[in-house]
Amino acid sequence: MPDKIPNRTILVADDDPISRRILEKTLKSWGYETLLVNNGKGALDALQRPDVRLALLDWMMPEADGPEICRRIREGKKANYTYILLLTGRDQPQDIVVGLQAGADDYMTKPVNFLELKARLQTGHRIIDLEDKLLQTHALLTELATKDGLTKLWNRTFIMKFLDEELVRARRTSSPLSLIMLDLDSFKKINDERGHQTGDKVLIRIAENLTKSVRPYDKIGRYGGDEFIIVLPNCDLGSAGLIAERLRRACAAEQIRANGKAIKVTFSAGCASSDRLVQPTGDRLIQASDKALYRAKAAGRNRVSSFPVQKTRARRRTT
Amino acid sequence: MTADSGIPMNKAEALDRVGGDEAFLRELLDMYAAEYAEKTGAMENAIRAADFRAIRDLGHGLKGSSANLSLPQLQDAAFDMETAGLEKDLEGALKALNRLGHEYRRLKDYLGTP
Repeated sequence: MPDKIPNRTILVADDDPISRRILEKTLKSWGYETLLVNNGKGALDALQRPDVRLALLDWMMPEADGPEICRRIREGKKANYTYILLLTGRDQPQDIVVGLQAGADDYMTKPVNFLELKARLQTGHRIIDLEDKLLQTHALLTELATKDGLTKLWNRTFIMKFLDEELVRARRTSSPLSLIMLDLDSFKKINDERGHQTGDKVLIRIAENLTKSVRPYDKIGRYGGDEFIIVLPNCDLGSAGLIAERLRRACAAEQIRANGKAIKVTFSAGCASSDRLVQPTGDRLIQASDKALYRAKAAGRNRVSSFPVQKTRARRRTT
Repeated sequence: MTADSGIPMNKAEALDRVGGDEAFLRELLDMYAAEYAEKTGAMENAIRAADFRAIRDLGHGLKGSSANLSLPQLQDAAFDMETAGLEKDLEGALKALNRLGHEYRRLKDYLGTP
C-alpha cells in the first residue's frame, strides 16, 4: 500500500482513453488520487478546485489545448499554485518554448517514461511546498505587522492607517465617521493585585467581547496598554454614543473569570465624530475622543462621554 | 518504411510501460480496439467530407494511442493520416486509412485474435 502523500489529487487531462487509463493506474499505484477529464474545458473547470495542485495536460485536446489552459490558469491567479506538466508528442524546441512560455512548469514527450514522470512530480511537490511555505510566511508576517499579539485586535499602526483611509472615504461620500476610545477603569489595580497574567486574560476577554459586539465593517484596535479604539464608518456622534453605552453596560454586567476568580471590570469611553470637527483628521479625532474620555474618567469612571457633549437617549452615565 | 516492415507490436516495451501487468495490457488492447474502430470510422467520414482538420486530429489521436501500446506500424500509419490532414492531401488520407486497416489486421494476427 503506497504512503499517503500531501497534495495528492492530480488532474489528468487527455483525450486519449488509453493514455488516461495508463496514467490513472500508474498514479494510483504511487498513492495519488486522479481526476480524469478528456477535454480542455473539463481541465479548466477541474483546475479551479483548490485541492488540484498538480496537473498533467495533453498538448492537443478538444475545446482548449494544453498551452491555452496554462495561459488561462496563470492569468486567473488561482490562490494556490498549480504545478502543470504538459504531455506532448511534440519535441521540437519551438514547441517546447511555446508550452513553457504559456505557463507550463515542465513538459514530457509521449509515450510517458514513468520513472521520469515520478521524478518530475517530485519536483512539482517541491515547488508546491515552497510556495505554501512562502504564503504561510507572508500570512504570518502580515499578522505580525498588523495585529496585537495579545488580544489579536488590530495594532496601533494598522488601526491608525484604517482610520485615515476611512476618513478619506467619509469625505468622499459625505458620511460621518466616528471613533470610540475606551480605557479600562483601574486596570493597574488588577495587574498589581492579581498579577499580569490575570490582567492579560482580562484584556483578551474584553477584546473578544468588543469584537462580537460591533458591526462587521467596524474595526477595533489596541491603542495602548489598556486603551482600545473602535473606528465606526458611516456612524454619527449620537449613534457612536449609543454603541459605546451598550458596550459599557455589557462589560459592567459581566464577571470575567481568571485563575478561578471572578473579576468585575468597567471601562470609560470617549466618542468623537468627523462631522462634528472642523477639517477632521485621524489625529484630531483621537484628540477629541481622548478629551471626551478624560471627561468620563473625571466624572467618576464607568461612563461614556462625547466631544462635543451630546445629549443622548441613554442619559444615564453618559455626559 | 514499407507497410509490412517490422513487428506490429513491441510487446516487451509495452509490458514494461505497464509494470509487467499482462492483464492490464490486455485491458488496454481491448480499449485500443474500441478506439481504433471509432477513430477509423470517423476518419472515413472526415475523408468523405474533406474535413482536413478532423483528419489531422484523428490521425494525431490514434498515433498517441498506438505509441502508448508500442504499436510502431499503426503509429506510423496514423502519423501518415495526421500528415495528410496537415497537407490537405485527400489521396494521402485514403492511403493512410488503407494502411491502418492493413496494420490493424497484422496486429490482430500477431495477438492471435480472429
